[in-house]
Amino acid sequence: MKRGRSSSDLDLPQNGNSEDERRGQDPEPVAGHTDSQNDINDEDESSHRRDIRSRYRMLISTVQQNREDMLNVRGNKITEVLDEANTLFKEVHQAREAALDSQLLVVASDLGKEKASQLFSEGLSFDPSTFVQHTLSFMGLNWLEDEGNNSEDEAATSNGILPQNAWHILASRCGLCFQSTPAFHYMYGTFHAEPPTPKLRVERQRKAPTKEAKRIMPTQLKKMEESHQEATEKEVERILGYLQHYHAQDPTSPISYYEFVINPRSFSRTVENIFHTSFLFRDGLARMYLDEDKLPCIGPVEDSAAEEPSSRKQCVIGISHWSWRVLRDAFEITESMIHPPKSRTK
Amino acid sequence: MTHRKSSAKRSASVMEEDDDDSRLTQPSTSQVQKGTEKLTKAQIDEKTTELVQYFLVKDQKKLPVRRAEIVKNVLKEYKNVFQEIMNGAQQRFEQVFGLKVVEIDAKNHVYILINKLEPVEGDQRINSSNPKTGLLFVILSLVYMKGGVIPEGLVWNTLKKMQVDPGEKHQEFGDVKKLVTDEFVRQRYLEYTKIPHTEPVKYEFSWGQRAEVEISKLKILKFLGELHNQDPQRWSQQYKEATGQASASMSQPSTSTQR
Repeated sequence: MKRGRSSSDLDLPQNGNSEDERRGQDPEPVAGHTDSQNDINDEDESSHRRDIRSRYRMLISTVQQNREDMLNVRGNKITEVLDEANTLFKEVHQAREAALDSQLLVVASDLGKEKASQLFSEGLSFDPSTFVQHTLSFMGLNWLEDEGNNSEDEAATSNGILPQNAWHILASRCGLCFQSTPAFHYMYGTFHAEPPTPKLRVERQRKAPTKEAKRIMPTQLKKMEESHQEATEKEVERILGYLQHYHAQDPTSPISYYEFVINPRSFSRTVENIFHTSFLFRDGLARMYLDEDKLPCIGPVEDSAAEEPSSRKQCVIGISHWSWRVLRDAFEITESMIHPPKSRTK
Repeated sequence: MTHRKSSAKRSASVMEEDDDDSRLTQPSTSQVQKGTEKLTKAQIDEKTTELVQYFLVKDQKKLPVRRAEIVKNVLKEYKNVFQEIMNGAQQRFEQVFGLKVVEIDAKNHVYILINKLEPVEGDQRINSSNPKTGLLFVILSLVYMKGGVIPEGLVWNTLKKMQVDPGEKHQEFGDVKKLVTDEFVRQRYLEYTKIPHTEPVKYEFSWGQRAEVEISKLKILKFLGELHNQDPQRWSQQYKEATGQASASMSQPSTSTQR
């Protein structure tokens, strides 16, 4: 309120006092509802206050909406508004109306500030509307369309027809005021600076084969596992066949374990033989024992003695490429006793 | 080589970027020597070329270049010799391209390129293809002639009278509001700042740092005089300011930083 009008400054202390008094006596709700006593006076009072508030709001909105007019017009519109506010303020008794009054004051003083700045600038003042008019005619605005209301400057300016290249005309002239650099371009053009948006179609194509591959994979695996197991079982049975065959040929002489499993031409075949033979021991179809020279021997188990769970023993056989060669030379093995399966491709 | 690299990296991780910037502002001669002695001239030249290209590409969109950006994207482990490479680039811009590197913000070290050569009348290449220049001219003139700072409402009202409505899509400018308050602001042609104590929030426009160095106020004033068919000197206040700008840029031709 400090910056306000002189007359309202004079009014203010009185009003402030009376407001305080009223507040002390009568705790009437600020919102202006009728009191519980239903006093007719109070009702009159609240409608009166409502009226004051609406008139204040009207004033504020006229100031805000006609801002440009108020600044341009030589008349005293601001003064008129302030005068009206002054008369209104005489009837203001409570905080709510006073708040609206101060709000109007803020808006009005803002306007005043702008008016003052116009005053300060020496020389010719710059009028945006005139500027727009001149610029538009420079840009080649066609006035023919609205000859009638040509004089009403502000309305007319937005009604004419601008040529297609209006802004180019203006730009080429005022480019002379700019000391800007010419744009740099690659001779053969350039990629867009932004990364291209990923195309959906590509992703769809990619998705389809992965699905199919997923479906194939499990079936393939199953097959492999089955065949592998079958192959092991078959191989174990085949070796048992060999063992029984050699035993039947000469039941009295023991079969040397190493001579039995070692394949002189293939280390990996040897390892496979050892692996498969171990199944025979596990299932109790073959037994291993040491002969007089403490060399391991192997022989099939007779059907009658096959089931003897208490006699279960374990031993680990290790073989390396080097020991395979030593054993092969020591036993002078030239032929393998277990012939590799003919049909196997591995 | 490896030793130099690793020490540079270590120092980068230790120092804050801004802190680093301030240290680099005035590199002592010993620092420069220390940085350069292990680099060959070819290496420096190559980096300089990269920096020149970086500036040119950035300038395509009229975006300013920050020093931190240069260090991060171009120089990397060569950051110790920033000044040396920058000087080289500056020299090339002036001698080869006829452009000038101007530091528009000495605090944050922001650089732009401007044309060293004055635009010549009849030269249609300059900006004639870009209608945005016209729009920019209207706004900048308005701001300048109305005392340097104006509420955004005045800008929008004026543009509306020129059939450019910020609320609608314009056939030439597209989203006008975005162009004016975002693109022009990022290019540093305009400043768009909140007016304090406004509810709802209002903004005001003023000249950006690029506009201050790139645009001649005197030329704007002369053009406005042409438009209004009157002597530009009659806008005495603005004329005084314009001649002030012209003499300021004349007195220090190499580094005309406005703020």
